[in-house]
Amino acid sequence: MKITINGVPTEADAGPDDVVVDVLRDGLGLTGAKAVCRTGVCGACTIKVDGTPQVSCLLPATAVEGRAVVTAEGLDHPVQRAFMAHDGLQCGYCTPGFVVEAAAFVDAWREEHGDVAPPRERIAAAMAGHLCRCGAYAGIYAAIEAACRGEHDSGTTTPARVEAVEKVTGRARYTTDIRHDGQWEGVIIRSTRAHALVTSVDVDGTTVDLLPPDRIVRYAGQPIAAVAAPTRREALAVAEAARIGYEPLPAALDDTPGAPPVYDERTRKKAPSSGEGLTLPGGWNGNVHGPFTGASRRAGTAVKRIEAARRRADPLLVTGTYTTAVQVHTPLEPHACVARWDERGDLHLHLSTQTVAMAAERAAKRWKLDANRVHVVAEHVGGGFGAKAGITVETVAAVELARACRAPVRVVLSRAEELTDAGNRPGTRAGIALLADEKGDLSALAVDVHGRGGVSVGSAVALHARLVYGTAPRRLRDFDVVTNEPPGTPFRGPGAPPLLWALEQAVDEMAHRLEEDPIALRRRWDGNPKRRALYDRAAELPLWRDRPRTGSQTGRHRRGVGVAAANWFYAVSPGTEVELEVEDDVVVARTATQDIGTGIRSVIAGILREELGLPADRIRVEIGRSGTVPGPASLGSRTTTSVAPAARDAARRLRAQGMTSGTKVVGKRRRDRGGYVTPFAVQGMAIGRGFSGAVHVTEVEVDTRMGTVRPLRVWGGIATGHIYADRPARNQCEGGIIQGIGYALYEERHVDPTTGTVLTANLEDYRIPGIGDTPEMTIHFHQDGWDHVNGRGVGLGEVSTIGVAASVANAVHNATGWRPHDLPIRPDRLLEGIRA
Amino acid sequence: MTIFENPPHGRLRAGGTDLMSLPGTGPYVDLRDLPGPSGVTWQPDGSAHIGALTTIAEIARDERLRAAYPALTLTAGALATPQIRAVATIGGNLLQRNRCSYFRNPAFSCHQNGGDSCPARDGLGLYSAVIDTSPCVAPHPSSLAMALLVYAAEVEVHGRSPFPVGSLYGSDPTRDHLLDPGEILLAVHLPPPVAGERAAYHRATSRSEAEWPLVEAVARVTPDGAAAVSVGGVARVPLRLPEVEQALAAGEPMEVAAGRAASRCAPTASNGYKVTLLTATVLEVLEQATAPS
Ligand SMILES: Cc1cc2nc3c(=O)[nH]c(=O)nc-3n(C[C@H](O)[C@H](O)[C@H](O)COP(=O)(O)OP(=O)(O)OC[C@H]3O[C@@H](n4cnc5c(N)ncnc54)[C@H](O)[C@@H]3O)c2cc1C
Ligand code: SF4
Ligand code: FES
Ligand code: FES
Repeated sequence: MKITINGVPTEADAGPDDVVVDVLRDGLGLTGAKAVCRTGVCGACTIKVDGTPQVSCLLPATAVEGRAVVTAEGLDHPVQRAFMAHDGLQCGYCTPGFVVEAAAFVDAWREEHGDVAPPRERIAAAMAGHLCRCGAYAGIYAAIEAACRGEHDSGTTTPARVEAVEKVTGRARYTTDIRHDGQWEGVIIRSTRAHALVTSVDVDGTTVDLLPPDRIVRYAGQPIAAVAAPTRREALAVAEAARIGYEPLPAALDDTPGAPPVYDERTRKKAPSSGEGLTLPGGWNGNVHGPFTGASRRAGTAVKRIEAARRRADPLLVTGTYTTAVQVHTPLEPHACVARWDERGDLHLHLSTQTVAMAAERAAKRWKLDANRVHVVAEHVGGGFGAKAGITVETVAAVELARACRAPVRVVLSRAEELTDAGNRPGTRAGIALLADEKGDLSALAVDVHGRGGVSVGSAVALHARLVYGTAPRRLRDFDVVTNEPPGTPFRGPGAPPLLWALEQAVDEMAHRLEEDPIALRRRWDGNPKRRALYDRAAELPLWRDRPRTGSQTGRHRRGVGVAAANWFYAVSPGTEVELEVEDDVVVARTATQDIGTGIRSVIAGILREELGLPADRIRVEIGRSGTVPGPASLGSRTTTSVAPAARDAARRLRAQGMTSGTKVVGKRRRDRGGYVTPFAVQGMAIGRGFSGAVHVTEVEVDTRMGTVRPLRVWGGIATGHIYADRPARNQCEGGIIQGIGYALYEERHVDPTTGTVLTANLEDYRIPGIGDTPEMTIHFHQDGWDHVNGRGVGLGEVSTIGVAASVANAVHNATGWRPHDLPIRPDRLLEGIRA
Repeated sequence: MTIFENPPHGRLRAGGTDLMSLPGTGPYVDLRDLPGPSGVTWQPDGSAHIGALTTIAEIARDERLRAAYPALTLTAGALATPQIRAVATIGGNLLQRNRCSYFRNPAFSCHQNGGDSCPARDGLGLYSAVIDTSPCVAPHPSSLAMALLVYAAEVEVHGRSPFPVGSLYGSDPTRDHLLDPGEILLAVHLPPPVAGERAAYHRATSRSEAEWPLVEAVARVTPDGAAAVSVGGVARVPLRLPEVEQALAAGEPMEVAAGRAASRCAPTASNGYKVTLLTATVLEVLEQATAPS
């Protein structure tokens, strides 16, 4: 059929059953439009048809016959420059869709209203059909406002991040966009049972076995096998026709003591971990693992004090039970791998990963290859949030299918797979008791947390309470309750959000009991000088000073302000190096790290500009590849703090050597003054000295009729030292707030209680925040206190999000006098709570 | 058009925004190739006929429709997302499938796709209908059907005389509308407008935009003081609420009248909040539609 695409009359080979996004991406190689949800919710596939933005994932190819289609690749609009200038993006996977829609909106707005900025509600309504998992909404608002004011009609733009131009034009290539000649598509066949012995796998075609040695599937959605075919449609048909024999086993789908066992004594040792690295030791009692109590301090004293306080009904004993829902990472680019074996037997992987180097290492080990024969490329990565580390099932499937089929194979998880079995933050139930003495000092703390990470163990929530509010006695116990549900994986600040959800509300409650300002109480209890500086700032905010008295409002709409503090580790990859090579008059920087939306390319480029006095066009940053000097995994907030000092070192070496073409230098990250807490790096990571801190002050408006909570304003104070690239750093922190709001108010994985099937398997039912849910945000960086760290700055990706949900809860309490105990704060819970 | 004479071989497709999101494949029969049923035609008596292929965006922005049938255009402007409204048609909206997450998940079969049970009843009940009239408890999804009810609009189906829009729906748990396969909806007929009518639409959601409603309601108040109210998200069918309308006509205070919306509800352990939200949403639209402008 004939379509005019980006002004070019094109003959497309498409059938009536095809949807336009596939015709564009696979048929014509125009990969700007992304297929993310395929249900019309996320807008990543948005294109213009005869000038009107439409989602191409539901649009029949027949609907564009003879029409003019414009994709991000063909767009040339001021709003693209505005997105670059105002950093309306992080990973960039949502960006092509956003800019296509924004361009149409900006044109219509200016035509009707002239060159003025629209109210935020108008922008939110116009962009309602777009989702950004990174939460770059503040930049998106700013960009659209500026474009409406006519600020980017001409001239050059200094982009806030160096790769922005590729992202706003749809040219940036992600793993899902890769297509080799002769490439096949792989599909994973998954268990439909929550617990069963697989007795037979009968598939027509080349298959790869993905079952564990005992051939038992332990959750619905667990991979059984993978198949490949020349097209995805054919591969799906083969998968559909597969006959799997199951011998059902009783499934544990709740955490009751009588639930059937998920593991036996032998297999439980193989249980995957939802935590970062190691699994905490602990015994087993049925499906309950633990407790791990190693983080306690003087546990006996803590318990004795709390018991005595309970007996005397001490009003300064604050207790409560708090629960959190399972949160799913759901990066907009799903897990994806394209594997190719070359004639020499080298393995080439395009991989959507947070760990190019680790992925290459592990692939070499797994497939028994020399390290230099595995080549991993992740040029652009559409978000990760912790879920894309190492070798995951799509990679195993792609690599082995590629070998079996003697063809390159691409495996891209569907959104349903991504929302079912590609990582989640386990749900939790926390019991907390907090006791103050007559002076109002913390006297004892007890926290018991049961983490529910499906078949995974490794819940490490209570242990984070070791490191906060001084050294008062405390008993901290972490348990796992395993069930026949998909496993958890590390998720941005693993363990901390559920702890802070309970702890920061309990501390707030204590402030009320003591009739003390909640910030003042924290300041008194918290020994961390950097956070104290944040408390001082926060206490002076008009937002805080003008907050209403708790419970003083009776109207329908009630405004409230809440605070929460957060503490996090400083992690680093001490072995990080950056190589610089002069190629003619361009300096090329390389290290084996990747940009998942953090802006590390821009950090490196910024340092080189500064140190070498070069203009932007004489610097090129080549990251997202293994096989060069070692760089960090983008896990544990350590990318920038590891890479930046090495980049500076390299730049200084190069300056010393002179910039003649061909010169090559390698910069290293010098050791921190005083060394690290961990004597040696584990998986390339060390824990450095000092803790990062954050304080969030959040204002909400509660509609007591409709049961909704609207975040209005958030102040985020972040104490992570030197900020290398201001705008991308703010963007990270803003995105952290957005994800925290999602956790607080909307996000919740639902599992069918009878079959164990994940029900929230699309982006309509699994609710991530949209642009309309974005508060006005102010980020304050406290940059002192890290002089011992090489580069004086540490990571901020995690500390900037972990306390946000608790600040929302405290704001709801301030507004209504009702304290939410269960996440998310859904309308039904709020209505019930305030009526009780 | 032959499509009218022979039952078409394939699934009728308008904008495709619902059809293409469902499992199953073609063949499809594109209705866009039909001449005629797109756009608004104004009748001599001042009433409007809206062609089945008219998009929701066209309805939302049509000035004359906005003046004549504000309850319809407000609803049209508030549903789904701008990109969907640009493509989705009124016909498809009335005849779309429900959004039950069991129905849309290939792991389950239920009354609606050839099965003989309702897994939602023993499962996630948070979003289920709170007015229980059918073995299926998926709320009816069509916001426009709900809005058309307050106008007592009629639909024109090829080969039949016009009938009330409400008669498109029933408690049959195996389907979301009662047209036979292959039957083609041609147009929606509205009655002559009432000058000076006021209307309000509201949906209860947790996020601010683009979310399917937990409960939605629309109210229409004519200058004679008569109110018409209908609701969605609570029952197997879009529902007009005569009990509320009559209470208002009898002079009951708005809050009391809105409370009568609860009378038909039979909440389960997990959807009791919908009763609260239902009366709240009805009150909301009544207040908005009668607030001094
Ligand atoms: C993100 C999102 C949010 C949404 N939110 C809402 C919402 O809040 N409220 C709401 O009401 N809807 C909502 N929708 C649904 C949307 O309104 C429907 O998908 C749309 O109206 C269907 O119209 P269509 O033309 O695309 O229909 P199609 O998908 O083409 O068809 C839908 C069905 O109707 C049949 N059909 C269509 N036209 C005719 C005809 N003329 N004669 C006979 N049969 C016909 C088709 O065979 C098919 O079974 C939402 C959809 C999305 C994707
Ligand atoms: S509510 Fe209806 S659509 Fe959902 S599972 Fe039950 S019968 Fe099927
Ligand atoms: S992929 Fe089309 S809207 Fe999400
Ligand atoms: S930048 Fe929007 S999803 Fe990553």
